[in-house]
Amino acid sequence: MNAARVAVWESDDIVYVAPLPQGPITVLEGSAARVWSAAHVGPIEDAAERVAGATGLPVEEIRASVDEFVGILEARGLLPPR
Amino acid sequence: MVEEVAVPLDIRLRFGRAAVQVVADRIGARVLHIKGDAVHTSLRPTSTGTDVDILVAPADVSKLDRAIRREGWRLYSTFAYGSPFGHAQTYLHDTWGYLDLHRSFPGIRLDAAAAFDVLDRQGFLIDEAGVPCRVPGIDAQAVLLLLNAARAGGRHNADVAWIWDRAATADRERLTELADELRARVALAAATADLEQYRGARDYALWKSISEGGSRSAEWWGRIRAATSARDALALIAQAPRVNIERLTHDLGRAPTRGEVFREFLQRQRRMMAEMRAWTRKPRT
Repeated sequence: MNAARVAVWESDDIVYVAPLPQGPITVLEGSAARVWSAAHVGPIEDAAERVAGATGLPVEEIRASVDEFVGILEARGLLPPR
Repeated sequence: MVEEVAVPLDIRLRFGRAAVQVVADRIGARVLHIKGDAVHTSLRPTSTGTDVDILVAPADVSKLDRAIRREGWRLYSTFAYGSPFGHAQTYLHDTWGYLDLHRSFPGIRLDAAAAFDVLDRQGFLIDEAGVPCRVPGIDAQAVLLLLNAARAGGRHNADVAWIWDRAATADRERLTELADELRARVALAAATADLEQYRGARDYALWKSISEGGSRSAEWWGRIRAATSARDALALIAQAPRVNIERLTHDLGRAPTRGEVFREFLQRQRRMMAEMRAWTRKPRT
């Protein structure tokens, strides 16, 4: 899937994202939005560290679930593949 | 955590613009985003609309048509039947909704390719969900909104009030000059209640009918009179009495039977003949 073009709209705590041009639109809220933002702004591999830094949670406590969710975002074409 | 729920319309439309722009970029098609949320906020007293409108350089219409169909846009109505002007084709996408692809703009009599260049001349990029989309210059946007108001027969008077009624003399002169360059002065006059100054113009009858909500046959005769060539006029005459099968299909929610097309043809003929009688009896003013 070509993830080079992703439409993004952030509104309050909600992030709307879609791979272009085919879609669909995915709505990310709460921790999902936070993970997307963390994965989007730097190396994907370090997303868990950035989420931990932003939330104050221990990175080892959240790493597995963050990495799993990053995998879901990648599969949907919402992040560049690693 | 990941949901596919109802997305606000304004966001879906932004994404729809971004999506069609991505396709246009891939194939190198020249596109201007018009109407709705593409309109500059200084010109926009009304809502952001319910669909995406784009104006495409005429040379790129066919290749963009093919490209967007490959990406899931389905043809909803064609140039021939989409509107009385034959200017736009409508598509429907499961995610992005309706897209109106314009190959020209009603009211502009300048050749469509030259008109696109004029509208593009002061164009600039806006951001639609992270994708740069080109829009006409602000004066060109204002003229398009006024022409659209003329075609809407007064339904968009908020645009006229906002753009024209408040405009200073110098602004009106600038917009009028641009309309002249686009050969759109008569349609502009229809929007600004100035149409009677153009009674002798070839497209006066057309805009008189449209802006004042005339009968369908009056509109057809106006279109025929406004045709720029005998060939175009003949094509319109041939098309006038045909049944709009696309519209009938949409009304019925299925393909019409031959009998339904037959009956619709007769009903339409009857309506047009009744209108013609009323029209020819009406004293010319």
